[in-house]
Amino acid sequence: MIFPPSANRRQFLTRVGALAAGAALPWSRLLAAEDEAGPRRPRVVIARDEVLTRGQLDEHRELLEKLLNAAMQKLTGAADAATAWRQLFKPTERVGIKVNTLGLSTQPPVADAIVAGLRLAGVPAEKIVIWDRFDTELEKAGFKLNKSASGVQCRGTDTKKIGGGYQEQVESNGQIGSCFSKILAEEIDAVISVPVLKDHRMAGVTLGMKNFYGAIHNPNKYHGDNCDPYIVDVVSHGFIQKKWRLTICDGIRGQWEGGPGVKPGFQWPFAGLFLGTDFVATDAVGADILEQQRKEKGMKPLAEDGRPPKYIATAAARGLGEADLAKIERVEV
Amino acid sequence: MDNLDNIFASPSRRDVLRWGLTCGAACALAGTRFARAQQDNAGTPELAGLKLPGVARHEAMFWEKTSDGGIKCLLCPRGCEVTDDERGYCGVRENQGGRYQTLVYGTLCSANVDPIEKKPLFHYQPGSQAFSIATAGCNMECKFCQNWQISQYRPEQVESVVTEPRRLVEACQARKCPTIAYTYSEPVVFYEYVHDTAALGREHGLGSVMISNGYIQEKPLRQLCRHLTGVKIDFKAFTDKFYQEMCAGQLKPVLSTLETLKDIGIWFELVMLVVPTLNDSPDEMKQMCDWIAKHLGPDVPLHLTRFHPTYRVTNLPQTPVQTLERCRQIALDAGLHYVYAGNVPMHPGENTYCHGCKNELIRRIGYEVASNQIRDGKCPKCGTTIPGVWSQEQALAFKPREKPAAPASTQPR
Repeated sequence: MIFPPSANRRQFLTRVGALAAGAALPWSRLLAAEDEAGPRRPRVVIARDEVLTRGQLDEHRELLEKLLNAAMQKLTGAADAATAWRQLFKPTERVGIKVNTLGLSTQPPVADAIVAGLRLAGVPAEKIVIWDRFDTELEKAGFKLNKSASGVQCRGTDTKKIGGGYQEQVESNGQIGSCFSKILAEEIDAVISVPVLKDHRMAGVTLGMKNFYGAIHNPNKYHGDNCDPYIVDVVSHGFIQKKWRLTICDGIRGQWEGGPGVKPGFQWPFAGLFLGTDFVATDAVGADILEQQRKEKGMKPLAEDGRPPKYIATAAARGLGEADLAKIERVEV
Repeated sequence: MDNLDNIFASPSRRDVLRWGLTCGAACALAGTRFARAQQDNAGTPELAGLKLPGVARHEAMFWEKTSDGGIKCLLCPRGCEVTDDERGYCGVRENQGGRYQTLVYGTLCSANVDPIEKKPLFHYQPGSQAFSIATAGCNMECKFCQNWQISQYRPEQVESVVTEPRRLVEACQARKCPTIAYTYSEPVVFYEYVHDTAALGREHGLGSVMISNGYIQEKPLRQLCRHLTGVKIDFKAFTDKFYQEMCAGQLKPVLSTLETLKDIGIWFELVMLVVPTLNDSPDEMKQMCDWIAKHLGPDVPLHLTRFHPTYRVTNLPQTPVQTLERCRQIALDAGLHYVYAGNVPMHPGENTYCHGCKNELIRRIGYEVASNQIRDGKCPKCGTTIPGVWSQEQALAFKPREKPAAPASTQPR
């Protein structure tokens, strides 16, 4: 490696801050460490109901909220939904919901159900922002933009002056050098990654971790080598590490091939959500679900197709979470 | 806000970059050109138009469908395979429903009138002006990129003015610039616009020069050179390791481009940014210069320019002048006739000397041509022919040598 380390003072402080935050706020481990008998395996909760796939999802908002809250209770062990949400979010915090609107998109009712959960935790609507890269992509996916001071915000990083939605300072972390969305870096205290259960031509799968490619200004530079280790370099940056509380994957429609673009012929009704606080474990479970579906459809495993989602193992090797399915507690509600 | 003048109204860092592209180096100069450059580069109101978030879709050239329904880009050596809604590495070419589109057809994020010396092209109509434009995007990621705030951004992230080729040609004529320069970011990634504008410009008596990293496949390069009148290639280093680790590219395709340019016969010059400790070793410099002399000939000008810390390389000092001088001497010793020291105003290495009699032919002060003794392309003292393009007539007379067609028996079916 002939590229010399070039961390400036700010980057150094960011990294130190991230390390400190990691030590003080291990959200993924917090919930996993509750059992007196020893560290609990990271838990990924799957909540499914076939009714969700009938007609329009809009018609099933109540069911969606109920399922999500039940999953949150299962994840946290809380007796009620409000307590479950409060374990992860404080009323004083500004919370970002990072949806994925590139190709097969996160569906707006899923984001709305998450908003309802945050409201149960006491987070004011004005402190919640649903966001992605571009206003145009959000609108195309059915989200209604809200840039006013009241209610839940919904906007793209590009909402501000063109280009002004990204920090001017380039952040180097591992092999990436990127400017981060100001929404993520400056405006919120906590973030929920809300990807879609889908295949990805380069990375193998695109789930909670790769969703954060939508938080940097130059994701096109980091698709080589199955996006590995670039995805891990992005999500291990302090801006994400110290704020990421939860992954909630929209799996109501899954897509096992041809992603991330919309390919109806490769979609199936997984009919549910899955969520976890261990981002690596949640992605590992998502990748496994997609692999199983591919197998059922007679498709080659992703590795044989030249696109193993190897970033998941890289993330685990870096200590960001658990990638071994045998060590992950998969729970259904 | 409806023209590029106004883009500079409330300067951000990116705006400062634009100004820097225009004025930064000029500020280092003394001389009569400075006031003129300021005036010229205060904006380009001819290009007044609708400000857009940088996207103007246009059918891309050089791509094919893959067996699985995706697209393979055939423009640059990366050969990106791009699925629906995704973009290539450059960030400006996108698969939209199985059609490949460029998103930057005429979305100019920078437009200035520059001295041709700023490109730098020292043997191409010295002292003339080039109407210089760029869009967002690049097919490399050089960690020392001086213009990263446009080259490493996507079109939605920079302010742009959509300018059809005809309008750019008219603007260039209005400024009495003989040349359009496609520069600042990477023209290869806005290929279609360069192609169409250069062709139209030629019809209207304008030359076109491409300032590029040379990361392009042979077929599109040959096609483009039918319309260009000059090329400058950034030669990053002479090791694949440097290209891979510092630029996210490879050396071999760049060498192929240089050999193709030689074969085509178009005028081209080389620039190497000398980065302390990374590409300035005497051995590497000698190997590179030997390769140039052998494969391109001794008459290709080589500009060795001074690095300034920026982007992701902020922990290295600017290149010591002594390093540039040492590298320049190695190049001269290797037999290259025209080797320049760049980004060091007032240095004697900025001047052009006859390779026959060593007579000073062109004296420069930064981008200013203080004097030019060349007459009819020759040294007035010894009569040696000086390689280069010395008039617009000569520029427009250029016709590329076409690649001989393969024998029928070997043509692909």
